[in-house]
Amino acid sequence: MIGVDVAIVILALACLVSTYRILVGPSEADRANAGDLLFFGIIGLIALFGVRAESPFTYDILIVATLVGFLSAISLARALTRGKR
Amino acid sequence: MNQVLEILGTTFIILGALLFASGALGLVRFPDAYTRVSSVGTAGGIGIILVIAGTVLLTPSVSNVLKAVIVVALQLATSAIGSIAIARSAYLTGVPLYKQLFNDLDTDGHVTHEGETDRYEEDIDSANSADSADGATGSADVAESTPQGHEPHKNPHSTA
Repeated sequence: MIGVDVAIVILALACLVSTYRILVGPSEADRANAGDLLFFGIIGLIALFGVRAESPFTYDILIVATLVGFLSAISLARALTRGKR
Repeated sequence: MNQVLEILGTTFIILGALLFASGALGLVRFPDAYTRVSSVGTAGGIGIILVIAGTVLLTPSVSNVLKAVIVVALQLATSAIGSIAIARSAYLTGVPLYKQLFNDLDTDGHVTHEGETDRYEEDIDSANSADSADGATGSADVAESTPQGHEPHKNPHSTA
């Protein structure tokens, strides 16, 4: 279980770093990209917290989260170009 | 058996978290939007896949394995597509590329900052002209000295 705790700390640090890039990123594409990485980090944190809490519903949440993350990345990329393809 | 699964799962989780951290490091340290997209697309996708595989090894059951296979397949497909879409939108909105500050092939590796290239070329031109002026004065010195050197030779012959 100590490994899970270490991984939770590392993923939380990575999420903090991507939050920093969202705040100071020079272009909008940097911010969208950092939001993508932040969502991946949240997915990993959900999986690790599911292991710690021994919850049986973690993988259902993970399936929904990956689909929503894909849709968020695509819609952010679409919003950057103002709807132009 | 359970011990082996736990060790394997912990190893996968730590490896995935370190890969994810390397992606976050690239997000901070890379100079350009496109290089940041590359770091996020590879390290984020593979790192999350390793973390999910490790959690499956820590809590093994049939339904968990099935759902985790679905999650891994979705993540493999969608992280790359999302990264490509974001990079393409960055290109379409005209995000600038990283300007190279250092070119080994150009004028034996001097630093040419953005906007200073003209000044630097002027420096090169002035240096070249100074060298050629020195060479011209040197040759003029030689040309001046050689008649003086030859005249004493010639004058005795001519006078003699």
